[in-house]
Amino acid sequence: MLEHILPASGLLFTLENILWINIGVFIGSVFAAIPGLSVILCVILFLPVTYSMTAIPGMMFLLGIYCAGGYGGSVSAILINTPGTPHAAATMLDGHPLSEQGRTKAALKIALYASTFGGIFSALMLLFLGPQVAKIAAQLGTAEYFMVCVFGLTIIAGVSGKSMIKGVISACLGLLISCVGADPMTSYDRFTFGIPRLYLGLDLAICLIGLFALVEILAKAEKKPGSLNMDAEKIRDDGVITREEYKRMLRPTIISSLIGVMVGIIPGTGASEASWFSYNTAKNMSRHKEEFGHGSVEGIAAAESANNAVTGATLIPLLTLGIPGDGTVAIMLSALMINGLNPGLSLFTTQGDIMYAIMLGLILVNLFMLLQGKFLTTLFAKVVSIPQEILTPIIVIFCFAGAYSVNKNYFDVGVALIFGILAWILRKLELPPVPILLGLVLGGMTETNFRRALLISNGSPRIFFSSVYCVIFLVLILVAVGTIVRGKVLERKAAAGKED
Amino acid sequence: MKDQLARLGARLDAIGERLAQKDLRIPVDLVTGVLFALFAAVILRVMPDQVTVSEKDVVNGRAFPTMLMAVMLLGCVMLIGKELYKLAKKQPLAWKTINLLVEVKALVILAILGGTYFLSRLTGLFVVGGVFCCLGFLAYFRCKKPSYYAITIALAVGIWAAFRFVLNVNF
Repeated sequence: MLEHILPASGLLFTLENILWINIGVFIGSVFAAIPGLSVILCVILFLPVTYSMTAIPGMMFLLGIYCAGGYGGSVSAILINTPGTPHAAATMLDGHPLSEQGRTKAALKIALYASTFGGIFSALMLLFLGPQVAKIAAQLGTAEYFMVCVFGLTIIAGVSGKSMIKGVISACLGLLISCVGADPMTSYDRFTFGIPRLYLGLDLAICLIGLFALVEILAKAEKKPGSLNMDAEKIRDDGVITREEYKRMLRPTIISSLIGVMVGIIPGTGASEASWFSYNTAKNMSRHKEEFGHGSVEGIAAAESANNAVTGATLIPLLTLGIPGDGTVAIMLSALMINGLNPGLSLFTTQGDIMYAIMLGLILVNLFMLLQGKFLTTLFAKVVSIPQEILTPIIVIFCFAGAYSVNKNYFDVGVALIFGILAWILRKLELPPVPILLGLVLGGMTETNFRRALLISNGSPRIFFSSVYCVIFLVLILVAVGTIVRGKVLERKAAAGKED
Repeated sequence: MKDQLARLGARLDAIGERLAQKDLRIPVDLVTGVLFALFAAVILRVMPDQVTVSEKDVVNGRAFPTMLMAVMLLGCVMLIGKELYKLAKKQPLAWKTINLLVEVKALVILAILGGTYFLSRLTGLFVVGGVFCCLGFLAYFRCKKPSYYAITIALAVGIWAAFRFVLNVNF
């Protein structure tokens, strides 16, 4: 590891990278602070910008958005009692009451410090655990890789919506869409329906602009006019946090960071689960339980450190196995692959310097997030109140400009629009979009490994049960399916019990 | 002009109120199951025309999509079976309420998006579509503040200029 650190630092500490980190952190904080805009939407909108960049600045920019998004969501949660992102909901429970006590700046500072701690802790975990997991990944063959893909898809399909079956249908749809274009092994065209442009396949960024961004514009139709704009109160306090409060924050911050890392490593789970789990753990362990829900510093620290501790951990399965921990990092996988960086041990050996630069960069991202949070809090607080009347057309223009700029033609803008309509129909049918995203991202890898494995075995499916790793992943898939199904049944029973 | 706009607003409100009361309930799981079963069947049907294969291939380009459609069909059968079982046991089905006003509003938004796309494509100038998009959405939100019109149009032109002159995207 040490032999990579020095050259990696040289690659990382350039003016270009530092600039892109800061742009990413700023954009991520702003997007996450505005209720209704999400981190995933932000990453999708700005993904085309990274196409012209090399691996390190591109990843730094996206990681800046991703990490700052973890903190930015807390701004609106604290200021206007509306979480900017779903994972800031737990922060809201104590953040807003503390703000109502006239300590808005203090609440924002606690959220910022806890987020930074969680983020750096998680980045260090990635730095130490990543290469170890990659060594295990190096022992996997094509059949095992196919099982890993199925494992990732199964979990995401299972946890992404109310029904696991619908998740599976969504994942199949995503995988099928990834088949459009040239066959990866023979180059024959597939599902092009006589449209020559489709031979090149459907670009991920264009599909995602439709599936995640344009559908949110259509979803404005579901909102009542009065609920579109919110006013944030001005920050009036000096933001002082007492030594006693710092002491009280320490334990929940450390424990929650650990929880965040453990939750983040498991594909399909994410910042929301980590922050709620940590919030409850902190509440149970606290000597001041009565303060929870009424402006507890421990509550804010626990929720915020956990949701940022997820950021580095989700990259562990991504960089080592190619399995994204959540939807946002799934998009980052495509940014990596565009630069010829394919997940696995080779990434840590042949391209070790780049990989270590990215992992070290995550620490830098968190430090710049701390600096921007410290000096730009008032600006982020103002952003919360940007009217939807202005925001909505600007997002559409970004979507269309982004879609056009990928291949510089209007065909792609039309494709994005069609995907927006498709996503609207899927929304009505309650089909989750995240498994489609994962299907799109993992489609090529899943199919190639599936076909290569069958070629090796001369068409016999026995190869998928032939090695210890295959059996382990098969058992993991079965356990995951069992656990998810059991959880859904219990959820349904609990809901039925409440109705009675 | 102001009177005419007020009258138009009142008329739209009246239409909106009427539409808001009209709901459409669909058995969502059953519909999803049937729709995607049909989709999978169509894909399997068009597969020979759409996926060229060589006879020499041990595993050809149809293998993976065929497997996917088989899994999708299986999922659909399970979804339909679950709902039919509920129907037989006289248990409540999974229903989804679709409000007509929401759908009409979504269609209006879609028309603005479509307009933006076609205007940009036909004129070859993205900025024209961008300005239309701003005006369309501000009208959709019934915005009466002139400053909002000025800000959004200025931002639209700014974004176009940034892509055109900084990122060299010629549109």
